[in-house]
Amino acid sequence: MERNSVEDVLATIVDPELGLDLVSLGLVYRVECSDDAIDVDVTMTTPACPLAEYLRRQAEVAVSSAFPRARVSIHLVWSPPWDATRMSSAAKKTLGW
Amino acid sequence: MVTARARRYRIAPLIILIGATMVMALWAGLVRIGWSLGGAASIVNAHGPLMVVGVVATVVSIERAVALDRSWAFAAPFLSLVAALGVAFGAPVIVCAAVATVGACVLVATLVMLSRRANDLPSIAITLAGVIYLVGCAKWVLGAPVFVVLPFWTVWLVLTISSERLELTRVMRPSPFARATFIVLAIMLCVSLALPAWIRGSTTVAVALWLLRFDVARRSIKKAGLPRFTAFTLLGGYVWLALSGAALIAFGNQVAGPFYDAITHAVMLGFVFAMIFGHAPIILPAIAGVALPFQRVFYAHVVLLHVGLVVRIAGDLLGHSALRAWGGLLNVTALVLFMCVSAARVARSKQRTS
Repeated sequence: MERNSVEDVLATIVDPELGLDLVSLGLVYRVECSDDAIDVDVTMTTPACPLAEYLRRQAEVAVSSAFPRARVSIHLVWSPPWDATRMSSAAKKTLGW
Repeated sequence: MVTARARRYRIAPLIILIGATMVMALWAGLVRIGWSLGGAASIVNAHGPLMVVGVVATVVSIERAVALDRSWAFAAPFLSLVAALGVAFGAPVIVCAAVATVGACVLVATLVMLSRRANDLPSIAITLAGVIYLVGCAKWVLGAPVFVVLPFWTVWLVLTISSERLELTRVMRPSPFARATFIVLAIMLCVSLALPAWIRGSTTVAVALWLLRFDVARRSIKKAGLPRFTAFTLLGGYVWLALSGAALIAFGNQVAGPFYDAITHAVMLGFVFAMIFGHAPIILPAIAGVALPFQRVFYAHVVLLHVGLVVRIAGDLLGHSALRAWGGLLNVTALVLFMCVSAARVARSKQRTS
């Protein structure tokens, strides 16, 4: 399992209002892969986001489906706080930076 | 922490009760606007509390409780539903208002916890808005009639929604000017409750213009599917918010009658329910764990809501009661269509996944 292929799966999880994915929004903080496990840290644009657990679960289901033999753990983290500079260049362009 | 399964069992009955409360509120609304449908006087008189406390406050409180993920926070939506249903079924208003006030206290406690976690301007503004709702409920306990309490509930909703939108503008890197303007408007909105109505009206127009200028909806309207649908509903809602403010400037504080109807429903239906329509496909999966996949038919109830409001408010302004009644019927049809389409879409989605 490679970090890039896990990120490709996470890039299929889209924020429903912005229409941008978790990776483009800079919400994926850490991806660690070993032979039988995938550990991911994700955050949200705010800790008060009601979609947090929903998006985390969607990500977990997507990664588990793509890598059925791996033990998948996706954690919500709030430190460091997200800021908009973490977004990809393409996402920034879409949002008019 | 609340497990997804426990949350679903907790929220499912609340959502069913919200639907039932909305049906009662709509029925009462139709009777009040002139349709001879009959029904208990307590329900007809409870139209405002049923809609604001029973439906909107419950929805907002559920959303915040899910975000906080603590069991005690779910007392807020439960209490607001109990309060509204109590009024509808003839319980003493003072008792129901007290229950709503306790629910508002729980909501404020939830908002304070969320604000401490997020520690940013939007969460502080949302907490301030919650305090305004609490003040409105407290005035209700002290015997103020609904038309006196309504400006507090309206400011609560306008400030809550605009603060949530401010939070989302972070992805667009809002300028210091945009943030500073928002802070001034938020403070003005709260202070204006103690000032002449034209100041609240002017501030409401300014908030609407701020949202039209800085909201991310201006960008997401260029996307396809759900982001465009949500942006469409939001931008329409901002126009109604501006019109409501303009009507408040023109007509001042009203206690009843056609101008009261126009001011109240431009903001409550045109702005608040447009937000609910636009966010339902986003929020329902998050809070209830059921998918509400977007489809283009969702535009039907949004367009019908706007058309109905145009007809209704034209009736208000022209003093044409039949036009107002038909506009109100179109509004009710839009809300019923929203509930039916959403329920059908959820059911179909569940069938596919089971």
